[in-house]
Amino acid sequence: MVVITTKKPVDEVLNVLKENNVKKIFIVSCGVCAALCQTGGEDGLNEWKEILEKEGFEIVNGLVVDDVCDNREMAKVLRKNSEDIEKIDAFVTLSCGLGVQSIVETTSKKYPSMKVFVTNNTEFMGMTERIGRFYMRCLGCGDCLLNETGGICPITTCAKALMNGPCGGMVDGKCEVGNYERDCGWVLIYNRLKAIDRLDLFSKLRDARDWSESGHQREVVFR
Amino acid sequence: MAEKKVYSKLGELLAKGEFILTGELEPEKTCDLSHTIQEAKEMAPYVVAANVTDSPLGIVTINSMAASHIIQKETGLECIWQLTVRDVNKLGIAGMIMGAHALGIRNILSLTGDHPNLGDMPETKPVFDLDSATLVKLVREMVDTGKINGHEIEHPPTMHVGAAANPNANPMEAEVLKIGRKAEAGAEFIQTQVVYDLDMTIEFLRAIQKYKVPVFLGIFPMKSYGIAKGFDMFVPGVDVPKDILAKWKSVKTDVSDKKEQKDVYDRLNYEFFKPFISELKKKGLLAGIHCMAVHYTRIFPKLVEVVKA
Repeated sequence: MVVITTKKPVDEVLNVLKENNVKKIFIVSCGVCAALCQTGGEDGLNEWKEILEKEGFEIVNGLVVDDVCDNREMAKVLRKNSEDIEKIDAFVTLSCGLGVQSIVETTSKKYPSMKVFVTNNTEFMGMTERIGRFYMRCLGCGDCLLNETGGICPITTCAKALMNGPCGGMVDGKCEVGNYERDCGWVLIYNRLKAIDRLDLFSKLRDARDWSESGHQREVVFR
Repeated sequence: MAEKKVYSKLGELLAKGEFILTGELEPEKTCDLSHTIQEAKEMAPYVVAANVTDSPLGIVTINSMAASHIIQKETGLECIWQLTVRDVNKLGIAGMIMGAHALGIRNILSLTGDHPNLGDMPETKPVFDLDSATLVKLVREMVDTGKINGHEIEHPPTMHVGAAANPNANPMEAEVLKIGRKAEAGAEFIQTQVVYDLDMTIEFLRAIQKYKVPVFLGIFPMKSYGIAKGFDMFVPGVDVPKDILAKWKSVKTDVSDKKEQKDVYDRLNYEFFKPFISELKKKGLLAGIHCMAVHYTRIFPKLVEVVKA
């Protein structure tokens, strides 16, 4: 699984740094997901060093870090580089939204005024076909239906996330959203369930999703 | 078996097994419904009820519940309130159902709704908390048990609920099984998408006969060649047969007198739909006809002849 990211426009990032009076920067670049998406890693780090230096920012340090989103890993990085951190105005992170927030959470106690900015937009939790082709196949909804839908998720493959599709927007197996270019998720499910001789599951009337446990502020805490 | 409860003229005639003609009204992006009211008045003598659309194609229009209420009040024509699950969550919809009852609405058609991406407000949040089957289930729960989620409604709503079907759907079996879910949810009638292909329609209607839900066949008599061509080009999944398009085109090119043109279009519609519908009626596959040709009210006297034939 990869958290898929895309690059924000450079000017958007530069503007936010200028607005926040940032001069001295520590770049943290994700060596895992963002590296795979070509929005982080070593190449991303070098690219952003060049961009920022050209714009007059001082790069105090720049590191590629595996698991920017792991607070333990980030805490270690911060401990090892505390001298540099004392000198900076902000972190710029080439990661997903988790990486940004991990840095905020791990730095905010010791450096309450530390600013953290991100160069990427976080798109989705993605499946990789090959580099440069990533697809949303799971939303992490917390109530997995895949055992009943032939291993194809209606929440992500149906543009309306319907529990009882296909809808009237399906034409010849294609979806009305995106000009009939993408497959209708519910037709994919129908074809799979037919292939495994379980159309009884397709015929099942499903209740609306229960959002009482799967909204926001979710946590998994088991010890 | 308990006698079927009747809450509207539509429900009453359905229960009697009468062959029914319904029409369609499409309120627009306006707070003044005079055009729609005029059309409602024109079709009222011929139809049992008329659908009132809910921002079709995701293009925002006046709210369909408000429009249904006003049309009923101003014209006496019974409305079938179209409600999509696109824009409001379950909590909001449950409140609307009670509100609709309070406003005198007694028929509802449950629809998914076209995705906002298709319309003129693509930035809005698509809701789809319910879907067209679970909305049917919600209405039936509120009406039949007088409760929502087990909680008592002091004065519960009473209304009939229908759902849509698409005989043109490919793969057809997926659509048929979906109608099974809508029937299980409690749909009391089905209105179909527009059809032009008789064989396919027969195959579909036969396939859904087992669910024992009365079916209104969706038809779209074409007012002019321009309308026919536009329908063929822009309504996804429904093709107007080439010979029909050719006939309609020849009216446009060969008949110069406008009044005569109108008469010929009306006659051609009559000649196409009469045998089409009579074949399906003969086979016992229909409970009625739902005419979706908005802004073409002059066709209704002829349609009534078709329906009664």
